[in-house]
Amino acid sequence: MTTAVNTASIGIERSPGLWSLAWKRLLRDKIAIVSMVIVATFLLLALASAVGLVAGGWNSEIAKNYAPPTWFKGSAAQEDLSKSNKSAASGPSLDTGLSRPEFVNDRDPLRETITELKQQLGQSTSSGADEIKIVDPLADVIVELKKKLGRTGDGDANEVEAEKLSSLAFGADKWGRSVFDKVVQGSETSITVGFAAALVATLIGTLLGALAGYYGGKTDDFLNWFYSIFNSIPYILLVLAIAAVLNKKGILTVVLILGLTGWASIFRVVRAEYMKHKARDYVRAANAIGASHTRRMFVHIFPNISHVILVQLSLYVVIFIKSEVILSYLGFGVGVDTVSWGSMLNEAQNELILGYWWQLGAATLFMAILVTAFSLFTDSLRDALDPKLK
Amino acid sequence: MTTPLLSVKNLRVSFRIDRSNTFDALKGVSFDVMPNQTVALVGESGSGKSVTSLAVLGLLPKENAKVSSDSRIDFDGKNLLALSRQQIRELRGDKISMIFQEPMSSLNPVFTVGYQIKEVLKEHKNLTGAAADKRAVELLKEVGIPSAEERVNYFPHQMSGGQQQRVMIAMAIACEPKLLIADEPTTALDVTIQKQILDLIAEIQKKHGMSVLFITHDLAVVGDIADRVVVMRNGEIKEQGTTKEVFSAPKDDYTKALLSCRPAVDSRPKRLPVIEDFMAGRAEAMRREQRARGVSDADPVVLEVKGLCKDFYSREGLFGKKTFHAAKDVSFKLRKGKTLGLVGESGSGKTTVGLTVMRLHDATKGEAWFDGKNIFAMTEKEFLPYKKRIQIVFQNPYASLNPRFTVGQILMEPMIIHGIGKGGEDRSKMAFELLSKVGLPEMSFYKYPHEFSGGQRQRIAIARCLTMKPDILICDESVSALDVSVQAQVLNLLQDLQDEFGLSYIFISHDLAVVKYMSDEVMVMSNGEVVEHENSDVLYAAPKHDYTKKLLDSIPKGLGAM
Amino acid sequence: MAAYIVRRLWQIVPTMLGVILLIFFLFNVVGGDPSYLLAGKISNPETIANIRKQLGIDEPYYVQLWIFIKQVVTFDFGQSWSTNEYVSSIFASRLPASLMIGIPLLIVEAIIAILIALGVAYVRGSLTDRAVMVSCTVAQSVSILVYIIVFQYVLAYKFGLFPVQGWGNGFFENLFKYASLPILIALVVSLAPNIRLYRTFLLDEINQDYVRTARAKGLTENRVMLVHVLRNAAIPIITNLMIQLPGLLVGLFLIERFFSIPGIGREVILSVERSDFPVIKAITVYVALATMLANLAADLLYKAVDPRVELK
Repeated sequence: MTTAVNTASIGIERSPGLWSLAWKRLLRDKIAIVSMVIVATFLLLALASAVGLVAGGWNSEIAKNYAPPTWFKGSAAQEDLSKSNKSAASGPSLDTGLSRPEFVNDRDPLRETITELKQQLGQSTSSGADEIKIVDPLADVIVELKKKLGRTGDGDANEVEAEKLSSLAFGADKWGRSVFDKVVQGSETSITVGFAAALVATLIGTLLGALAGYYGGKTDDFLNWFYSIFNSIPYILLVLAIAAVLNKKGILTVVLILGLTGWASIFRVVRAEYMKHKARDYVRAANAIGASHTRRMFVHIFPNISHVILVQLSLYVVIFIKSEVILSYLGFGVGVDTVSWGSMLNEAQNELILGYWWQLGAATLFMAILVTAFSLFTDSLRDALDPKLK
Repeated sequence: MTTPLLSVKNLRVSFRIDRSNTFDALKGVSFDVMPNQTVALVGESGSGKSVTSLAVLGLLPKENAKVSSDSRIDFDGKNLLALSRQQIRELRGDKISMIFQEPMSSLNPVFTVGYQIKEVLKEHKNLTGAAADKRAVELLKEVGIPSAEERVNYFPHQMSGGQQQRVMIAMAIACEPKLLIADEPTTALDVTIQKQILDLIAEIQKKHGMSVLFITHDLAVVGDIADRVVVMRNGEIKEQGTTKEVFSAPKDDYTKALLSCRPAVDSRPKRLPVIEDFMAGRAEAMRREQRARGVSDADPVVLEVKGLCKDFYSREGLFGKKTFHAAKDVSFKLRKGKTLGLVGESGSGKTTVGLTVMRLHDATKGEAWFDGKNIFAMTEKEFLPYKKRIQIVFQNPYASLNPRFTVGQILMEPMIIHGIGKGGEDRSKMAFELLSKVGLPEMSFYKYPHEFSGGQRQRIAIARCLTMKPDILICDESVSALDVSVQAQVLNLLQDLQDEFGLSYIFISHDLAVVKYMSDEVMVMSNGEVVEHENSDVLYAAPKHDYTKKLLDSIPKGLGAM
Repeated sequence: MAAYIVRRLWQIVPTMLGVILLIFFLFNVVGGDPSYLLAGKISNPETIANIRKQLGIDEPYYVQLWIFIKQVVTFDFGQSWSTNEYVSSIFASRLPASLMIGIPLLIVEAIIAILIALGVAYVRGSLTDRAVMVSCTVAQSVSILVYIIVFQYVLAYKFGLFPVQGWGNGFFENLFKYASLPILIALVVSLAPNIRLYRTFLLDEINQDYVRTARAKGLTENRVMLVHVLRNAAIPIITNLMIQLPGLLVGLFLIERFFSIPGIGREVILSVERSDFPVIKAITVYVALATMLANLAADLLYKAVDPRVELK
C-alpha cells in the first residue's frame, strides 16, 4: 500500500508476514535446502551455458567416435570402438529425409518400425532433396548435417581421429562430441522450456481462472466452456495435434505448444480458489468498506492464493520439462541445432544396443537429478506455504 | 464411601510441536467420577478439557502426544494408561463410550446409521443378523427417533443435526457402557435442539445408571444436568465441587468471572464484569449498576426497511429452478443510538437480512430508506458514499481480516478508498487513535492478523469499521465464536462505543441471552419471517408467539437461582 | 436421475461443438494448405489444384466447417491421406490393441497402488512413509523413455524374457506374450504418481471426525482403515480411475510405438509424422467425446458410491 508508514523511522521492527514465516519454515526443512541448492546449480549451469561460458563448443567433434567416459576407459567397451567407427561411418543414410539418422542394425528392436516408417515416408515424399525443400523447413539443416557426416565418414577420417581425444569425462557421442557439453546444453533447453512454458500456462490459467471464479455467472459459463474443450482432449493428444499442424521446430514453438495447451489445470485450481475466497468474510469486508472489484480480485484475494499459484507453477515446470523431452525425442520438439535430453535419448537408444550406454546414462542422470530436486522442492514449498496440510 | 468409577490422578500430557518445542496441554489434572454420577468438565478453549477426555479413551494422537509416566487413569479398578492397545480398544464402545461435538462429521457419511450401530453390537456383543437389526431399531426408539424402523436405513445426511446426535447417543449406549463421555455434544446445535439433547442425556443417565463425563465451555448448560463441576483453565484445575457449591459460592476468581461474565436474561449490568474486575475486587459493584434499554416512537429513525425479500435459486431437474425464500417481507425501523436485536435459529434468515441491508446481497424486493433515500434503488456507484455509513462485523474473526495485510494496512485501506484524512501520516495517526480506542497497543499497527487472538481480531475488525465513522454497525454473530470471558470484553467495548458515538446497531445472534443484554428491541425470526418484534424487556418478560416461547424456554438456566 | 443424464448429454453438445471448432481452427485455418504435402514430388500446379478440389480446401471456411461437422456426425472421415485406409477401419482395427494394454494395466495398477498407499498412509510420517514417498518422487523424475529403452533392452533384448516387439493375432498370445512387458513398463511408470495421489486421498479421510468415532467405538485398526477409511477414499479413487480411462487410449503412445503394437496411440504418432490430418482429426474428436462420456460415467458412479451426492 502506498501510504504504509516508514516503519524504520519509528524504530519498531516490522513483524514477519506470512511470506517470511513460510520462508523460515522452508529453511528449516533440510530436504528443501538440498533441493534448492541443486536447482540453483542447474539454473547457474543453464545461465552459464546460455551466455557461452560452458559447453559452448558442444557441436565440435573433439573426441573419437563413442569415446568412453574417462573412468570407464580400458574396459571391454574400448576394444570395439574402432569396429563401430566403421559402422558409424557407413551406417547413416538420410535418403528418406528423416531428420534422425538411424542404424540399420540386425539387432535393432526398432528395425521393423524404421523400415516401415521409411516406406511410408517414401510414399508421401519421394527421395531427392529438391522436393523435400518445398515441404520440409529443415531441409537446409539436413543438407548441412549431411556435409558434416560426410566429413566424419570420408577416407581421411583415421588421420583426423588420431588427433582426437580417446576418452572424455562423460564420454563422447557418435560424432565424437562431448556428452557432458551436450547434457549441459540439454539442461539449458529443458530449463528454458520448462520455466517459459510454465509461465505462459500460469499467466493464462490464472487470469482466466480469476475472472471465472470471481465473477461467476455468464463469464464463468463461457470460460468454463472454453476450459471443458481443452480438458476433454487428452493433453498429449492436443500437444501432438498442434505439433502436427505447426510442423515447425524450435524452443519457442515448444514453449507455445506446451504453454497454450497446459493452462487448463491451473485454471481449474485458481477458479476454485477464487470461488472459495470471494465468499470469505475478509473479501465481504473489503466489499463493505467499498473496495472495487479489481481491488478485491487482485489486492485482496490474489495475495491469499498466490501460494497455490506458486505451487502449481512449480508443478508445471516438472511436467513441461518431461513433456519437452518426449516431444524432442519424437522429433517434434527443438530443432537439430539445439540439444535436448530428448534428442539425446533418441540417439542413445541405438547406441545402447552397441554397448555405448553413456549418453543414455548422462541424460537420464541429469534429468532425474533436476526433476527430483525440483519435485522435492515443490513438496517442501507446499508444506512451508500451507503448514495445515502436513 | 463407594469407590470412584473413573479416577484421574495427576494427568500430565504434552504435545510435541517440533523437534525442540513441546506444549504442556495438561499439567497434573486429578478428579473422580462416581458411579451413577454426572461430572461436568468446564473450560474455555485451550483449557485441556478435550485432551482429558481423549486421554481417558486412549485416543490421543500417538505420534506427538506424550502422557507422563506418573499419571494414572483408573477405571473400574484398572489403570487405563497401563493397558495394552488391544485391551483398551475392547473397553472403548463397550464400557466407555463417547459422543462428539459435530454429529454430522462424526458419523461416517457412506454407511447407514443402522450399519454403524450394528457395527458396535457385532464388535462387542457379537450380535448379528436379525437380532442386531432389532436391537438397532430399539436403540433408535430409545433415543427418540420417530419411525425408527424406516430411519435405521437412512444415511446420516438424510437426518437433521439433532437426530444425528441422537444416533451418536444410540451408538454410544448400545453396549450399556458404565461411562459416557460427552464432548461438547450440543455446541453445534440450535438452542431448542440443545435442550432436547441435554434432556435426553439426563434421562438416559438415570435410566441406565451410568456415569457421564460432560465436557463443555458453557457453564450455564452444566447447571441443569451435572452433579459435580470441574473448572479448568490452561491445563489446570481451578476449582471443583458439587454443582451447587460452585454455582452459589465460587471460590476461584476465574470461576466467579466465568459465572458472571455471561449475560443473563434477568439482569443487565451497565458493563459485564470480567476476570480483571474480579481480581480488582470491583465486580460486585459493577453487577449492581444496571442499564435501561428500550425504544419509543420519539427516537429518530436512521434506517427504515420496508418489505425486504431475498430469494436464492438453485437448479433442479432438466430446466427447472428451485427458489428458496431466505427472507420474506421483513420490515423494521432502526432508531438512532439504539440496538435492534435479531434472533433466530440457523436458517431463520437473520444473517441474510443483515447482509442484504448493507447490500452485500442484492434484495429481491423491498426498500431501505436511509438519509432520505432508498439505498436498494441506487446503482453501485451511487451507493459508494453511503457504504461507509453502514458497516459490519462478521462472526469469524479468523476469516474477516485479510491475512496478508498488516493491521495498519487494514485500518488505512477504507480511509484511502473513501478519501478520509489527508495523506498517509494523518491516516496512520487516526489508525493509532482507533487502536487505543478499541483497547489494543500501538504496536499492533505493524503486526499481521495471525499474531492476534480471536478477541483481539474482533477488536481490529471493529476498529476498521470505526475508521469510516459509520452511523449503523451490523454485528453478525460477532461474539459467537469467542470464549465467554472474551465475549464479555467485546460486548463491553461495543456498549462503550455506542455510548460514545451514538452508533445504531443491528445485533444478530442465535444467543438469546446476549441479544437480550445488548438490544433495545428484538426481532425474532423463523424460516425467513419475522414472528415477533417488540421492546426487548417486554418480549423476554411476556413472549406472545409460540416460537418465541419455545426459544426462551430452551435457554439454559444455570442453577436457576443464579 | 434420467433428467440429470439427459441434461448432461445435452451439455456435451456445446463442448463438442467447441472441440470441433478448435480442431477446425487448428487444422483448416492455422494448419494451412496441406495439398503441397500431399502432392509430394509431382508438385505441378494442376495436381495441387486437383488435390485442393478433392479436399474441398478451395471452398470458403463455413463450407469446410460444415463438411467437418458432417464427418463427425456420420463417423465418416474418408480415407487416410497416406495409407488410403478408411479412417473408420483404422479405429476398428487399432482400438483392441490399445484396450488390451490399457484395461489390464488399469486394474493391476489400481490394486497395487491402493494397497501401497494404504500401507504408507497408515504409517504416515514414519521413515517407511518418507522413504516410499521420496522413491516415488525419484521414480517419477525419470523419463518414461528411459524406462522403455532400458526395460526393453535389458528384459527383452539381453535376457530374452519377453519378445522385443510385435503383436500377434490370438487374444491370449497378445495378452500374455506381447502385452506383458508393455504393461509392466506402464505399471512402473504410473504407480509412483498414483501412490502419491491415493495417499493424499486416504490422508484426507484419516483426519476426519468419523475415524475418531470409529476408534471410540472400539473397532480394530484393520476395520477402521479397510472399512471406514477405504470406503470413503474409494470415492475420489474410483472417479480418478474413470477419468484416466480415455487418456489411456493415447497415453500409451510411446509404449505402443516402441513395441510396434498396432494401437490408437501409435497411430497418432504415425499420423503426426506423416501429417495425416484426417486421422489426427478423427482421433482427437472421438477421444474428446469418449472423455466427456467417461466424465459423465464417473459422475454417475460417484452417485453410486457416495450416498450424499444428489444428481440434479
